[in-house]
Order: sequence, then structure tokens, then C-alpha cells
Amino acid sequence: MITTLLVSSLALSGAAVAPQPSFAVRAAAVHLADGTTLEDGVLWVENGTIRAVGRGVEPPAGTPFIEHDGALSAGIVAAHTHMGGGDGLQDSTRAFLPEARVLHAFEPKHSDFERALAAGITTAVLAPRETNVAGGRIAVVKTSGGTVLERDGHLHLSLHTTALWGWREPTSWPGALAHLERRLEEREGPFAEIASGERSVIIEAWDRHEVSRALEFATSHGLRGALRGGHRAGELARRVRSSGLSMIVGPFAPGEDREHLRSVVALAEAGVPLAFGLDAPASDPEALRLSAALCVREGLEPQTAWRALTSTAAQVAGVADRVGSLERGLDADFVLWSGPPLELTSRVEAVYIGGELVFGGAR
Amino acid sequence: MRNVLSTVCVLALASSATAQDDAGPWVIRADRVYTAAGEVFEGGFVAVANGKIVGVGPGGGGAGDELEAVCVTPGMVDLGARVVTHPDAVEQSTEVAASMRVAHALDLFDPRWKRELESGVTTVLATPPDSNVIGGLCIAVKTGGLTDVASRTVRADVALRGSFGTQPSQGNQSSSGTPQTFYVRRPTTRMGVEWTIRKAFYDALAGAQDPERDFEGADVLRRVLDGELVLGAQAWSTQDIRTAIYVKEEFGIERMFVDAAAEAWKEPDLLVRSGMAVVLPPLSFDGRVGPENAFFSWHSARELDELGVPFALSGHGAADPAARLAYQGGLAMRGGLSLEAALAAVTLAPARMIGIDDRVGSLEVGKDADLLLWSGTPFQPTSRIIGVMLDGRLVVDRREASE
Amino acid sequence: MIVCLGLIALSSLAQESTALFVRADRILVQPGEETTGAVLIENGIIVAVGPGVAAPEGAREISGAVVCAGYLDAWSSLGVEPASVRDGKTSPATSVLDGLDLFSNDHLRLDSLESGVTALRIQSGVEAEVGGLSAVVRNDPGQDGPGAVLMEDACVAATIGVTRNGKTVDVFDRVDEVDDIADLVEAGLAYRESWLDYEEKLAEWEKEIAEKEEELEKDFKKAKKKRDEDIEEAEEKGKEHKEKKYKEDKKPKRPRTDTDKETMARVGSGEIPLVVEVHRYPEIRELLDRTESFDRLRLILAGATEAKPFADELAMRRIPVIVWPTPMGVTRPDEFRMHDLELAATLDDAGVQVLFGSGGHGAARDLPALAALAVGHGLDRTAAFEALTLGPARSFDVAQRIGSVERGKDADLLVLDGDPLDVATRARFVILRGEVVVER
Repeated sequence: MITTLLVSSLALSGAAVAPQPSFAVRAAAVHLADGTTLEDGVLWVENGTIRAVGRGVEPPAGTPFIEHDGALSAGIVAAHTHMGGGDGLQDSTRAFLPEARVLHAFEPKHSDFERALAAGITTAVLAPRETNVAGGRIAVVKTSGGTVLERDGHLHLSLHTTALWGWREPTSWPGALAHLERRLEEREGPFAEIASGERSVIIEAWDRHEVSRALEFATSHGLRGALRGGHRAGELARRVRSSGLSMIVGPFAPGEDREHLRSVVALAEAGVPLAFGLDAPASDPEALRLSAALCVREGLEPQTAWRALTSTAAQVAGVADRVGSLERGLDADFVLWSGPPLELTSRVEAVYIGGELVFGGAR
Repeated sequence: MRNVLSTVCVLALASSATAQDDAGPWVIRADRVYTAAGEVFEGGFVAVANGKIVGVGPGGGGAGDELEAVCVTPGMVDLGARVVTHPDAVEQSTEVAASMRVAHALDLFDPRWKRELESGVTTVLATPPDSNVIGGLCIAVKTGGLTDVASRTVRADVALRGSFGTQPSQGNQSSSGTPQTFYVRRPTTRMGVEWTIRKAFYDALAGAQDPERDFEGADVLRRVLDGELVLGAQAWSTQDIRTAIYVKEEFGIERMFVDAAAEAWKEPDLLVRSGMAVVLPPLSFDGRVGPENAFFSWHSARELDELGVPFALSGHGAADPAARLAYQGGLAMRGGLSLEAALAAVTLAPARMIGIDDRVGSLEVGKDADLLLWSGTPFQPTSRIIGVMLDGRLVVDRREASE
Repeated sequence: MIVCLGLIALSSLAQESTALFVRADRILVQPGEETTGAVLIENGIIVAVGPGVAAPEGAREISGAVVCAGYLDAWSSLGVEPASVRDGKTSPATSVLDGLDLFSNDHLRLDSLESGVTALRIQSGVEAEVGGLSAVVRNDPGQDGPGAVLMEDACVAATIGVTRNGKTVDVFDRVDEVDDIADLVEAGLAYRESWLDYEEKLAEWEKEIAEKEEELEKDFKKAKKKRDEDIEEAEEKGKEHKEKKYKEDKKPKRPRTDTDKETMARVGSGEIPLVVEVHRYPEIRELLDRTESFDRLRLILAGATEAKPFADELAMRRIPVIVWPTPMGVTRPDEFRMHDLELAATLDDAGVQVLFGSGGHGAARDLPALAALAVGHGLDRTAAFEALTLGPARSFDVAQRIGSVERGKDADLLVLDGDPLDVATRARFVILRGEVVVER
């Protein structure tokens, strides 16, 4: 339950929705990115960014205080979604669209984002579909207010079988890789940028042999970024680790093949940075936290699972300097929960983006 | 009494199954050691260390864990194992995919690899499915080991794959009969396939003269013409084998073999004249094999041997145990082939055809320690492979089961 | 089959009579009631619960943070042979127990057992209009152990307007399907009525016959004299004597035996419940209207995606709802278009008995996680726990045996290392009929 204590005499009764330049939240438990919890912690927000977090934080007298008897955490980062994109994120005639930007398919007011907010997701990676070998560059956006964190992000590649169609070139892995390797010799453009390490990649690779192939491709060209998928990559965990690539996993549904869940645990144990992807709207935003929960039930460390929903996901998306943790200077994107955020029994009670209440609130 | 389920138990089993093999050093003793390099040592040994053969000969020995078998042979080499079958391994957008690498299409998790390894095949030439006229660059790989291509590679870009006959021309039409998209450029007849392969070589030659006419993969084709790269071409039936020989002679291709050449026995003179090497498909019980319904018999291998034509046997990745390579030697021997020749046809001969005989194919000091432990004389119906060693690791061990 | 299982149970009880003593910080006796101390189990039955319980000599002692009843998945097809699950031609009397497959999906059953699902209401023909008789079975590894079947005919399952074989049912047909089911109930009741009628008439008839025979017996001499006179008179007139025929009352006709109608009669008379998977507003409306006159029918809704507006009515009519609290994206089947994770909370708030089911899709393993998710969407924790345990046990008439940690009940228990609804909680021990079947 949230109670707003109007400590400040300046606070106006009608200003509940308008962003306040400075306010603080005291929560029974503040969940930090490293998995630790502060009891009775205080988050002090100033001009939409985090000014301070801690137990002994004391904003100047007169700062409005929100008292919350539940948990407070950073907003969740969905590392891979197709929110608001409809059918517009794949091209059925050309497999290579390295210049395309998903940003141009971003519709900030789409209902997909409302659903995401209700699930505590404040940042979403918008990615092209896995049906193009080079689908374009990802965008990273906030789920409310139309804020764009990254307009021209990682180049999205796919070595998944669905990128190889029967009537569109290439139709094969050798064809796709021959083309990619040729493009990597270009002097400028997105391929030159990924070859030099200026730009990261996300490579779709789901089955074991796809992951193996993607690893060989990425390591032989020194690419950095993440693999997307890895449903059965557990036995390749050490190779993934030594490639330096992260892995975007999920979403997982009830009854998910345990091998997929064990694979996540094995990747985590090998030290592979993990982030949970959603593929929304094909999956419900709540599937993100459920995916993490199913992995925890399978043996994933809760702290690792939590980071995979927040800070590591932000790192994988390349926006960790703005979101993903409760740290001074980062955007004040946070969620007030009824209990620990990783517990499925916990409700989202309020969501703030840039210090602004965008979902729920005092009841 | 009901079983008490214990997850700990299950995990323990799973981990023990993966980390079983032992890297040696080993000394393998046998009543007969068949080196496939011309020598048979009675009461011989093979010494193995660091994945290589460090000693082979009669009596004697060396230091290491001891293994015993009735007979020891090199691990088998199959140039026609057909380990790549996934539809996504086929590049349909071009009929000449010379620069494409079948290495990129490997699925090392496919159960075929395990099947090959367990049946005694330790090295295969991975070829693309024959849906292209020129299917791309082949890679010679071990059938076991880690799950990355690099660690299993014996030699990359070791041969170029071509295919004569009707197979590359099939599937180039939609169900309505009219070719669609890029399929419209592709041959739909046997003559069209032959024309495509010759045109590719002529274009490559032209490209060497005129950079304007050069194209993707032309350099690969020129390496074949220069004798740097082996051309391995599928040709089941007489007309296709003849066509392959004409192409070999027309372009002066030095290093070439015909794969699945069932009807090679019909053209003894041309084979001898052209110096063409032959890989036979699995011998069948009714003599009719392959997409062309080609005919051959168990005598075919003996006949090629008598002609002095370099030849190898192949199992084509058969699931049926009776068609796998370990049985092919026995079938060829039923047709009159000697044990030594049968052994060579599944080891050193194929290794030589693609130039990897410095690494595999015989039991000689310095070569990879890929060897088979037999419970009796190789290829006899009553003999079993009781152990497979790959790069000095005992990866298949059936010694106890056979006792 | 049942007899046979009973024999096995007896013989195995004779063999394994060791007591099991389970100590726990929290004993969740039943939803809303907690104690501490220990649970003592003898011969597979709970014999004592509470703080004062002491371990008898020779008893195996185990302990954990929490002890509670095993979960009952109210909507599953785990362990049913796949073709029977998809069978579209099932009828009311089709029994799921005839479609058990004891050899496939073992790992799924083990997984769900490890996660605490100790019993399942299994059904065949999950997409059929009428799936037939469901059973409540113990989630016994191999399903060959003692007393695997807890309730042979637990209910009749039916569906209305669900996507079948990938095909959406059109709007008019959906309402027709409500009629079909109501008609089946009516026909069942009429069938029973016809039998009762027959039996009544038969008894009447038999009584009349008996009376007549008695009368005839009494009047035999008189009758004979009359007959002799009649014959004489006929002779005099030169006519042939015609024997006066005895006119027997028509015997009542026996109705045809029909096991489907008999099964629906059991449903209509409330002997066993009727579970109907129904999702959309109009079909729920129609179903509630059409079944209102069946005053003894025990209706249970499954899925009930758009049931929120009916919460008060469902509560008033005491119709439980099996909720499937799973997240669904936009690719969901048409009937789930309005799927809302808050359904369970809304229904519970109105006083509806909520049960949880994994949707018959083999996800029984994750039922506890789904229950937690429902709590995250507003459902009361106690109600969620009840929906996993005692709720379904009551609805399917097995509450006298399972569903809570009470003296006299079967010892189908979980020993957990945390609260049942917490994400990291694992079952350290799973106990079936007093035997530890999972231990880790």
C-alpha cells in the first residue's frame, strides 16, 4: 500500500500526477541491481533522475515523501520484444536489410506498451523479427512517454532456420554466411561497424547447431553483442562464455521443456551474461517474470534472474548508462511492488518512468 | 518396493556419461595389427600419446594404459557419408555455389555423427546435399569430439562438390510446372546439369582473363583447374560417369573422383585412361541403387581393384547396420576383394583421394590416433568393433559387453 | 480394475507399516488454519497432527520448513494417451481410465510430482463437445501403485465453443453447443425418469398379476363349474365351445439401456459434477440460463475467460470455476481473446470457489507458479492455496481422503523448504500414502 505524505507545504493537492521536480520514496525493501536488499531504503528523485539511493539518504527538508510498505525496484528491461510492431518487422522479399531501423515501426501509444507497464516493464528493446538474416537495427524505448533511449542500436542478425526461406536468397546457412562474410569486408556501413566492434550485434540462434554456428561466425569475426535464443545451448555454455557474447533467453511458458530451463541455468553457471527476452506481443508481458521464476525453480540463482530482468538486460541492450539499476544519475524508472519483485505473488502497485507516475499509484 | 526418485542421482549419471573418455597414453596390443599401409603385424601393438600414434610394430610396446583386441585397424574414412541433409544446407538461389562452405551447414548434434562414430567411421568428407550442380567447398571432419567445427576439422576446403545427373535438376519447378523466382535459371534436365558445370569452368577461365566477367566462386573453380583442389562429383549411372570423365579430360582436371559411381564397372577403359578415382555407393542386395536406379554388383569393387583404379567404399550414412561402412568391406570381399584391398578401400584410399593421408587413413607414427578394436578379423560377419579410438581417446568402448 | 487395485493396496499395507514422522515449522492444516509440531503417518494415513505429537519408536523422521497437502490439478490430461486426449468422438460414458498411457510422458508426471502435484483430475477428449468421464488419480510414478485412482467417475467433462483442431467454432454453433449439453442433461433425466416409471409400472403390473392369480385360485371350482355348463350348452346348440381367453394386462415395456444417458442422469441428479469448459460471455450466459432449471446439477466451469460479469451469480449458485492463470500473448486462441490474469481474484472476491487447472496441456508441473501469478494479480493467498488443495478435493468429492493435513486422511503430503507460493520453494519430500516418493 502506498501513502503519500505531503511533508512539504508547497505540494499542491492537484499535483498528484504532474511530475515533481524533487521527491523521495521510502520503501520497506529496496531491491538493488546486485541482488541485495535495503530495508527501509530511500530513493530520492530529482528532475526525473535518481539523486540518491540508500538507507541514510536524507533529502532536504520539505521534499515530498512517498511511504511504501512494500518493495521498490528498478523498472524491468525486456531485452527483446516486437511490441507495437504488428506484422511490420519482417521483409518477405529481401533477407538483408541492414540499414532498416525498427525505430520507424515504433508506435509509443500502442496498447502493447500499456500491458508492459502493468507488468513492471519500463524499458523495451524493439527488435526485428528473426525471419531476416539481417533484419535491421534495434531501438530501445521506454514503455511510456515515447522516450527513445537508442535510435540506432545493435544490428539484428538471424541464423535461425526461419530466416532461410525457399523463394528468397539465401536459402541456406552456407549462403547466408557467405553473404555475411562478404559484407563484413565492406569499408563502411553497418557491417563495417560490427566488424570493427563499434556496433554490437544480436544473433538469433536457437537450436544447438545454430548456436554453435553463430558462435563460430561471431568469434571468427570478433563480433560483440548477444545471441538470442539458446533454448538448448546449455552444453555449449563454456563456448558461449569464452566468446564474450551475452545470451537473451525466453520467454518460457508453463510446461516449458525442462531442457530449455536447464540450459539457462547452465549458461548462468558458466558466467554468460543473461537477459530475458519477451517476443511480445506474441507473449504476454507477464511471461517475462514468469520465465525468470521458472528458471529459478529450475535452479537459477534469484540474484542472477533479477539482474537478467534489469541491469544485465540494460547492459545487453546497451543502455545501462540510463536504466536498469537504482543508481545516482540514472533515469528514475522504478516500480513499487506489494512484495519482492521476483515473487510472482507480488503485485505491481505503481510504475514511475523518469520520475513520473505512469501506472497505478496511491490507492 | 517403489523407487525413491533422487534428482541427485540423475545428475550424477548425466555428468558421468559425458566425461568418461580417457586421453591415454595407451598401448593397444592385438593378435594382428593392420596398418593399412601395407603391413600386418602379428602380435603387434600401437602406442598412442597426445592423440597421435607414437609407435606401431610387432611385439614391443611402450608406456600407457593397456588395451587388448584381436585385431586393430585404422579408423575408417568415408567420402560419401552424407552427414549433411538439412534442407537449410541447400542454397537454392544459385546452381553454382562454388564458394559456399558446407562447414557452415554442419549440425554436429545430429545423431548421424554418433552413428558413424560408433560404427567405426572416424573421418568423413562432409558434402552438401546434391541439389546444386556445384554444391560448394567440402570439409573433412572427425565424427566425434567437441561440438565445434574447428576442433573437429581434419582439413577445411578440401574438395569441391559437383553433381551430375538428374538430382540437381529436380525440385527446380513449382508444383504448377513453371519454375518460380530463381528456380527459373536452373537446369531441369540431365543435359542442362552437364551444360551448367562446363559453363561454370569456362566462365571461370574467362573471368581469369577479363575481371569484368569474373564472379563469386570463380577462384574456387580455377583452383580445381590448377590442380590445387579436388573435384568430387556425384555420378551414379554410366552416362553421368562418362560425362564426368569427359569434363575431367576436357579441362585437364588432375585431382578428381566420382562419388556414388555404381556403374563405373561399365567403363573400364575410360576410367583407366582418365585416371579417375571412384567412390562406390553402398552395395545393395538387388544391385539397383540410388536416384538413377544404377546397377552394380558385389564384384564391382574387385573389378576396379584388378584394373588398378583407385577406389573407396562408402556407407552413405545408412541407418541400416547392414549398409554401414563396416559391413561394406565384407560385402566387397564376398565379391572377391582381398582383405587388404577392402581395408584400404575404407581407410587409406579415400584419405589419399582428398589428400588427408598425412593425418588419417593408416596406422603410422605421427598420424592421428584414430583406430578400431575388433573382436575378430575385420569385416567378418562374426566380428564386432569393440572399441573406437578417436584422437587418442577411447570414445566407444564395448569390450565388456562383448565378453 | 478397482477391485484389483484394492487388493494390491491391502497386500502392500501388510508389508510396509513403518510409521513416518514429519516435523515442520509450519503445518498448513487446511486453507486458513496453521499449526506447528509434527505429522504422524501410519499405514499411509495421517494419525496425528500438531505440537504435541511425538515420534513413535522405529518411525522414520524427516523434517522441513512447511508441510502441506499435495496439490490437485483440477484440469489436466497428463498420463492420458495422446490420441485419447485429442479424441473428438468421445461421449458421456467414455471413461478416461480406459485411455491411460502408463508408459509415455513419465518425465512430465515426475516433474509435476516433484513440484508438488500429487493428484490430477484427468480427462480425455479435451476438445470434444463431450469429453466423458474424468477421474481423479494420484500422481503416482507409473500409476501402478496402491490406490492410484482416487475417484473413478469424478465428473463428466464437456466444452462449449472451444477451438477444435485449430478451427474456431462459429457464433451460432456455439450457442447450439450449450443446447446440446443441456439437452443431454435433460435426456439423462428423462431416461432415469423412464426407468423409474418402468420400474413403478412393472411393480404395479406384477402386483396386479399376483392378485389376479390369487383370485383365480380362490374361484377355481366356481369357474370350473361354469365352464362345464358352458360346454354343455354349446353342445346342445350344436356349436363348438370357445374357450374364454384370459386377458392378461399388458406388461410394461422395458426401456433400452443407454450408458451415455445413464451417465448424464448421474450428472443431472447431482451424483457427479459436470465440468464445462466455456469462455465467452454469450455462451456462459446461455449455459447459466439453460441449466438453472436443473436444481440438482452440480455445474463447474473451466476456463471461463469472460466470467467476470457473472461472478455474483456464480457465487450465488455455488458454481466453482477452474481458472487457468497463465500469461497469454496475442497469438492465443479466439476464445481466450479477453483472457485476464485477474479473473481468479475477481471471482474469489465475489465468493466463487476458485480452483486451479493447468489447462490440460501438460503444464501441471508449473501449477504452483501459476497459482502464485494469480496472487500477483490480486487473488488472496489463502484462496490460492485452497484452489490448489482443498477446493478441488471438495468439488470432486475426494475431500474425505485428500486436500488437507487432517487426521484420518491419506498422507499425500509435501515437505517444502518455504511457502508454497514462493518462487524458490522446492519440495524436499513428496509423500504419497505415507511413502516418500521424491526426496532431494
